Amino acid sequence: MRTPKTLLPLLALVAGLALAACGGSDSSGGNADEFADAKPVNGGTISYGHEQEPPCLIGGWVQQAYIMRQFSDSLVSQVEEGEIVPWLATDWKVSEDQKTWTFTLKDGVKFTDGTPFNAEAVKTNFETWLNPKSLNPTVDAYIGEYYKSSKAIDDTTFELTLTKPYSPLLSALSQGYFGILSPKQLAKGPEANCEQPIGTGPFIVKKWNRGKNIEFVKNPDYNSAPKNAKHQGPAYVDGITWKFLGDQTLRYGSLTSGESNVIYNVPTVNWKDAKGKFQVQQYITPGRPVTFSLNTQQGVFTDKKVRQAFGYAADRKAAVESAFNDVIPYNGNGSLSQSTPDYDESLADAYPYDIAKANQLLDEAGWTEKNADGVRTKGGKTLTAKVVYPAGSVVSAEGVTLLQNVQEQAKEAGFDIKLVPSSPSETFGGKYATPDSYDAITWYWTSPTAGVLYIVWRQNLKDRPNGNNASFYNNPKLEDTIEAANSTQDEAEQQKLYAEAQQLINEEAAAIGIYTQTTSLASQPELRDVWIENSQGEPVFHDAFFAKKQP
Amino acid sequence: MKTVALKVLGAIAVLWAAATFTFFVQAALPGDRATLILNQDSGQIIKRSDAELAPVNEKFGFDDPIYAQYVNYVAGLAQGDLGTSYRLKAPVTEIISEQIWPTIFLTIAALVAAWIKALALTLLTAKRGRIPSALGSGYETFTAALPHYWLGVILLVVFAIELQLFPVEGGSSLIGLVLPALTLGIPLAGFLGQVTRDEFEKVLDQPFVTSARARGMGDFGVRWRHALRHAVLPAITLSGWAIGALFSGAVIAEIIFARQGIGNILVTAANMRDIPLVSGIVMLVALIYVVANLLVDLAYRVVDPRIEVSS
Repeated sequence: MRTPKTLLPLLALVAGLALAACGGSDSSGGNADEFADAKPVNGGTISYGHEQEPPCLIGGWVQQAYIMRQFSDSLVSQVEEGEIVPWLATDWKVSEDQKTWTFTLKDGVKFTDGTPFNAEAVKTNFETWLNPKSLNPTVDAYIGEYYKSSKAIDDTTFELTLTKPYSPLLSALSQGYFGILSPKQLAKGPEANCEQPIGTGPFIVKKWNRGKNIEFVKNPDYNSAPKNAKHQGPAYVDGITWKFLGDQTLRYGSLTSGESNVIYNVPTVNWKDAKGKFQVQQYITPGRPVTFSLNTQQGVFTDKKVRQAFGYAADRKAAVESAFNDVIPYNGNGSLSQSTPDYDESLADAYPYDIAKANQLLDEAGWTEKNADGVRTKGGKTLTAKVVYPAGSVVSAEGVTLLQNVQEQAKEAGFDIKLVPSSPSETFGGKYATPDSYDAITWYWTSPTAGVLYIVWRQNLKDRPNGNNASFYNNPKLEDTIEAANSTQDEAEQQKLYAEAQQLINEEAAAIGIYTQTTSLASQPELRDVWIENSQGEPVFHDAFFAKKQP
Repeated sequence: MKTVALKVLGAIAVLWAAATFTFFVQAALPGDRATLILNQDSGQIIKRSDAELAPVNEKFGFDDPIYAQYVNYVAGLAQGDLGTSYRLKAPVTEIISEQIWPTIFLTIAALVAAWIKALALTLLTAKRGRIPSALGSGYETFTAALPHYWLGVILLVVFAIELQLFPVEGGSSLIGLVLPALTLGIPLAGFLGQVTRDEFEKVLDQPFVTSARARGMGDFGVRWRHALRHAVLPAITLSGWAIGALFSGAVIAEIIFARQGIGNILVTAANMRDIPLVSGIVMLVALIYVVANLLVDLAYRVVDPRIEVSS
């Protein structure tokens, strides 16, 4: 066999590669104000550095809501204070018994495959979300129990029938998961819609290069922006390159080097720097904050006094502030995040650091002895709590520092906290989902409504299981209070009932608040009018444009 | 002909063994696949009710006995069908063929970078007196021990973010390949350099080197034309292993530099117990090992003409 005599040619070939270095671009910095009054201009493609990539472009995970906001529209949109404004639905009314909702739909809207948007299409979407074969588990969590049927009265009138009153309905519908998709495309099944979903939105999915980016192009016929958009009609930019930049150093570097025009979740260490150089915005996610859900059915936390003592035993506020460099806010309220409509402000400082109180409560609870390691004991058992946290994307390295600080401080009160990281397969595979698997677990649920309390705190009963009740806390009174709040259209009454529910959870210390989920965006000075919508913190690029320098 | 047929049969056996092993290991791991699918689709971590699990189990056949699932899978393999990813809802062959090229380019570039560096260092420092020799050898030991993640971040921060000599995002450009390739190539060069250096120093003491020098050959000529040829043999052997290791270890460079590739896909697939996808990628890695070792055999014959092609 004849082959080249040496490896030299091969070596020479690739040597060129190593020498082919050249300079990068330099467009960072600059003063944001010089573009403050710029008028919208058409053109340009936004290079957006996002973080996590979902398995499919549609679904019930917040990462999918972010993406769905780009190519699909929902029936309604939510603005501050929980107010609802028209989107694909221009008007709506609810019957006296609150079981029938009638939506008037926008006329003349088309999906980007040419299919007309009408009441029949909305009906198909509701049926697809709740069909076990194509189930959207998040949609199911919100409306599964309430949904009875849907009906197209005529092209622009859609009727939704519920089994019982559900006042958070519109808030729920405002989220990206509820984006309305083309029935023609939906008929092709979950596989086709995973990669090539079609909506009526401002952008169209052109190509998804897995592991790299999604290429969106603008929908030139877009005529269905929500009322809270800054303009109606097609997007100003030609498209978005939605890149997956998982590593935070890389993501911020991509913004400073000018490779990205805007990035998601600025690393907290770079927050101050970003504030000086870019336009930054932060959204505090409503819903259930990141909490310690304490197991009320098995282990040391079955005793309310021990749960309360754990709350008092550590300075959670200081731990949050130091771990997240003062960027991510502390949330003392263990049931709702501070940005949720009907959040009870009076619980903002629930269970402040008070070591004397913690000690007193533990003494009262009978944990009076201490062993050689300083851990309290009772009847030969140690005050040991297994605290499970999902390692990786949910609890970042900063989050782990926080937990370690809490662990360290709780030790003073005589707690022996065992921190147990849970791998993604353990986390999502339900390894830590039963009362015998942990004493406390950290999790959250992003939601635009206090109605999320029903999802999280509804009783976990044999014939009606509720896996989201991570504290395994079954209290009929609590469930009734939340359900009453979910059933009334009287806003003052609703606020009062939700507040009662939060106070009850707090008094019982079934969950101890830690911090809020956040979305932050940093964009280059010339990229104007990127905004974050209110239901889930989805970035909105429909109004964005590249400003030209004023002469 | 007979050797070729045997080699092909051997390769098929290796692939089948890899697929079988991966299938059963994945199937034996704790964690319910249907629960994983439902929870990942909703960002939840909860226990699922039987009513929720039933349609998913039915759709993917998770309820069938494991041997039936295996037979089904192997029957698909025999027809060239690697199955469909549960999580990505796309055929495994489609995902692999989309993701494989960036990883192959990265692997080759890393290997080449490692060879250049190892050879240059050996030629320049081996047997050049105590101090250069010790420095070269010490440097190799140091770089061989560098963790990829740490090295990658340092290269990213220094050369891309601060000095802006390279793009921050690796992307698919040639220039964007440099830092990821160095991330994998620098530690590998340390290994290659160490084995080459040992051999090189031995060869330089051989009689034929002395006779070459006696014929009036210059020092560089001796090193380059005679000694190196002998000294690279162990490094070539090591390269067969290195190709497979680079390929399966590419994930770190892929994550740091946001590159497309098999490594990234493999890690998430393994986390989510996506059996068809994990098995497909493991088979691919096994195939790469087989091919790499064939190439090593060939390279031996090129470098060392004493090895006859026997058949």
